[in-house]
Amino acid sequence: MKKRLAVIMIALVSILFCISPAMAKTLTIGTMSPLTGPYAADGNDIANGAKTAVAIIEAEGGIPGYDKIEVVSQDTACDPRQAVAAANKLVNLGVVGVVGAYCSSSTIPASEVLNEEDIPMITPASTNEKVTERGLPYMFRVCGRDDDQSIAAGKFIKNYLKAKTVYIVDDKTTYSQGLAENVAKQCEKLGVSVVSHDHVNQGDKDFSAVLTKIKRANPDMLYMSLQNSSSGSLMAIQAKRFGLKCAILAQDAVYHPQFINIAKEAAQGVYFTFGYVDKTKPSYQKYYEKYKALFGEPGAYSAYAYDSAYVLLTAIKQAKSTDPAKIKAEIMGMNIQGASKPIKFFENGDSTANYIIQVVKGEEFVPFWNPETGTLY
Amino acid sequence: MIPGSKHIWKKYAIAMIWLLVLLWPLLGIHADGTLTFSETWSVWIWIAGVLLGLLMLVLAHRSSTSRMVRAPVAIAMEKINRLGKVMPGKVWMVLIISVSLLFPFLTDRYAQDVAINVLVYVCLGLGLNIVVGLAGMLDLGYIAFYGVGAYTYALLSIHYQFSFWLSLPIAACFAAIAGCIIGYPTLRMRGDYLAIVTLGFGEIVRIILNNWMELTNGPNGILGINAPGLMLPQFSNGIGFEYIYLKKLHYLYYIVLLLCVFTVIAVHRLNFSRIGRAWEAIREDETVAELMGVNIFRLKLLAYAMGAVFGGLAGAFFAARMRFVSPESFTFIESAMVLAMVVLGGMGSIPGIILGAMALIVLPELFREVELYRMLAFGAAMTVMMLFRPKGLIPAKRVGTRSEEREG
Amino acid sequence: MEFFIQQTINGLTLGGIYALIALGYTMVYGIIQLINFAHGEFFAAGGYLGVILLSFLVSRGYLETHPWLCLGGSLVLAMAYCAALAMAVEKVAYKPLRFASRLSVLLSALGMSIFLQNGLMLTQGVYDKPYPSIFSHGNIEFGNITVSYLQIIILVATVSLLVLLNILVFKTRIGKAMRATAQDKVMTSLLGISSNRIISITFAIGAALAAAAGIMVGLYYGSVRYDMGFVPGIKAFAAAVLGGIGNITGAMLGGLIIGMVEIYGAGYISGQYKDVFAFIILIGVLYFRPTGIMGENIDDTRI
Repeated sequence: MKKRLAVIMIALVSILFCISPAMAKTLTIGTMSPLTGPYAADGNDIANGAKTAVAIIEAEGGIPGYDKIEVVSQDTACDPRQAVAAANKLVNLGVVGVVGAYCSSSTIPASEVLNEEDIPMITPASTNEKVTERGLPYMFRVCGRDDDQSIAAGKFIKNYLKAKTVYIVDDKTTYSQGLAENVAKQCEKLGVSVVSHDHVNQGDKDFSAVLTKIKRANPDMLYMSLQNSSSGSLMAIQAKRFGLKCAILAQDAVYHPQFINIAKEAAQGVYFTFGYVDKTKPSYQKYYEKYKALFGEPGAYSAYAYDSAYVLLTAIKQAKSTDPAKIKAEIMGMNIQGASKPIKFFENGDSTANYIIQVVKGEEFVPFWNPETGTLY
Repeated sequence: MIPGSKHIWKKYAIAMIWLLVLLWPLLGIHADGTLTFSETWSVWIWIAGVLLGLLMLVLAHRSSTSRMVRAPVAIAMEKINRLGKVMPGKVWMVLIISVSLLFPFLTDRYAQDVAINVLVYVCLGLGLNIVVGLAGMLDLGYIAFYGVGAYTYALLSIHYQFSFWLSLPIAACFAAIAGCIIGYPTLRMRGDYLAIVTLGFGEIVRIILNNWMELTNGPNGILGINAPGLMLPQFSNGIGFEYIYLKKLHYLYYIVLLLCVFTVIAVHRLNFSRIGRAWEAIREDETVAELMGVNIFRLKLLAYAMGAVFGGLAGAFFAARMRFVSPESFTFIESAMVLAMVVLGGMGSIPGIILGAMALIVLPELFREVELYRMLAFGAAMTVMMLFRPKGLIPAKRVGTRSEEREG
Repeated sequence: MEFFIQQTINGLTLGGIYALIALGYTMVYGIIQLINFAHGEFFAAGGYLGVILLSFLVSRGYLETHPWLCLGGSLVLAMAYCAALAMAVEKVAYKPLRFASRLSVLLSALGMSIFLQNGLMLTQGVYDKPYPSIFSHGNIEFGNITVSYLQIIILVATVSLLVLLNILVFKTRIGKAMRATAQDKVMTSLLGISSNRIISITFAIGAALAAAAGIMVGLYYGSVRYDMGFVPGIKAFAAAVLGGIGNITGAMLGGLIIGMVEIYGAGYISGQYKDVFAFIILIGVLYFRPTGIMGENIDDTRI
């Protein structure tokens, strides 16, 4: 038995040897996102968004000095262990930059690996403040942070809805809970009373217990802070069924065509905090048409992932080099209009935000209220 | 054509028609009111072709046509076997040890990372083996101990700056206590009742980790855990000692290798001790074991505690290696994965479990090449391996055949 | 008081859904003592078949004209599909392991579960699929209490399936054969009953029940998702065990208890710990009754 074990072990080890970096005259960038498991929908949006950016850059003439840009999409399954393995795999493949990951708990350990090798990482989805606050030189974030979004939400609740009582529900993920806490803080500051801050678990389908509680509390507004459109549409449908009359405010993670598609009538009139997207702008049009042609309707994270990859590739193009320091210099100096928002990075790697309130009207999201000016669109 | 092959073809045909029936509604009926067949056909022909090829191989294997191919292979195998006999077991051991020692010098960081994962899961698998393989209690919540170990070190490290080495025994202790807490109410249960209760405990631990904000920082996880450190002599300005954190992958590899060797030796010794025999007696027949004077209560608790100790050690290492822990690492599917390693490798067999851990960690990594199909391939591989080696890749020698063994 | 009644109705509905899945689960368990991890996937497949067929019918315009006929037809077809799927899975992954250790079968089932879930994801896409909303309309209101027709349908279906299954198992010849097979496979085959066929049939019935549950859940929640089977699969397992595995009435009871505990826990104590309450009740009950509420004393089972 020992002999056979040894033979098989040696075989497996030699397989590991064989997984060696592929060398070619192509520029390789990596994406990391959960392509399998419960977050696969968002994970695929991210991978597709990055691929769209590559397709557009290639159509615009590519990057001088390279024949081809290749995207390697790695699955993290939202598991820190697999995320680290994926990051190491990307290091092996010699990627010049990485777009990802989705779960903050994957992004944090993976970024440590990538930063050891000075590989820039731009996350389109991880909102944990620790992502950028560890002083890693090559960590950037394109999605907004919770604080920006909660300020917009707070202004809307206070100034437009004039709500006196707010009920907050989150689904216990880094993102949803962090955002919910920030919104609660904002409400307190603005003198709006938070009736209750309740939690459900990510992946729950049945929200009847908490919705019955909300109905009894009868707040002026429900702030539902959820991880994705799937949970959001389930909650909207059930809220409608229970006859909840209050306004509902959701946020960018729930913002997805799928939300309207599934919740249908229940989606009507639900408010969202989301970046202001001028759909007439060429930067958005360019992205939207390409994405639609390649993968269908884009999701919330698609645009962020597209912007992340676009920023990365543009930086490489402008730097005329894949030297990390030069890429970083270009990224820091960047001031462009992306598909999701105008992009400019701060010293710590975070980027600007321009949250507004959108509302579901018919089959689409329309801009509704501008928190900067306090006016309707 | 050999006799009986007609029967096989008929079965193959029925199976393929069945597959077509199952495949078409998923691929061919569309929400826009159209019915298509082309995708179904292309997928179906692909699968049918592959299966046909496999079937031919099996048939060829059975008939004599493949003798030409098989004869040289058999001769080669014979030679290898003879070589194996000439070289005693010790030589193989030396070979394995030297390969594992030299591994980081020969490989890149991805391979090292995968190797570290394998070794961590070997520890976990061996720990679970005590509960499932030796004592015969089905545990579907084993990952909870891994979580307890990981969070113990994480908290000790960020709050009290405990060193990794000091935290190891503490993590093991906490895990053992958790093991006893979980073990106690389940002592009277058997089989699947035990399975669901342990599953429940595993989930409870995960939910608490996710919700107890003050202690565990909830879903945000704990950041800033120290890597294992070592006092190393310093010669640059005079002779002195300096405390160095071992963050590099190959250091971590050696640490986990050490941990793994310790686990292997400990589990081996336990297996062949009085306690190990008592556990096996409980597994084979609880009632008889009790009758023969085995203290079921104490030994079952001990099995849980010992299993938990190794889970806790692996967990502490995991925290030190990632320098970050969050509840997402301790889901039910991880428990199932560890159980899969134990069963796939061969319950109660140490080399089997090492092989099982290798297979289940390396396979998904190999399937990375097929991106979206990764877990599909993995699920299929798991079932297929089980079908071909129902007793595990390297079954333990001592399952229910101990009297024969004595005779032999 | 209204709050309590509303939460009770919520609990009954959720419990009814768990019970529906647990019924099929416990049938399969009763006959071959297999923790069938793939059962949740049959449930998901049923939900998907329902959405595929109903969306097809919507776009052809049939659903507008004959809604109930379409729903009935889709239900039957989805049940048939899942029965066929379950029989295939049984033949491929479980039958060759009939005389192997039970843990080997468990793992084979786990592999199948991963395979089927990812198969659904690859063929049907990663996004949720919406159910046509024409059935989800309609509430009955008593003051502040809302009961939707679908909640009533779920409860009625659960109870009637329970009665039907009890009749099937205790009053028909095939039920007798099932019970005999569950008791002693070898002896049953000696008496001229093909135990393989009986096991196949049991799988088919169990999966058909899961498919019905899948469609009902899809209608109630408005959408299906490729990984929808996993958590309910575990809950159904818990429900079946709580009631005493293999006992049909017990599974129903177990499902209802777990659903109620979750809802009361979320409604009165804390939403994020509701699964903890469910599992604590489960552990508590099993501590005092190690074979479940209605379970008989099993013999020495070993894994």
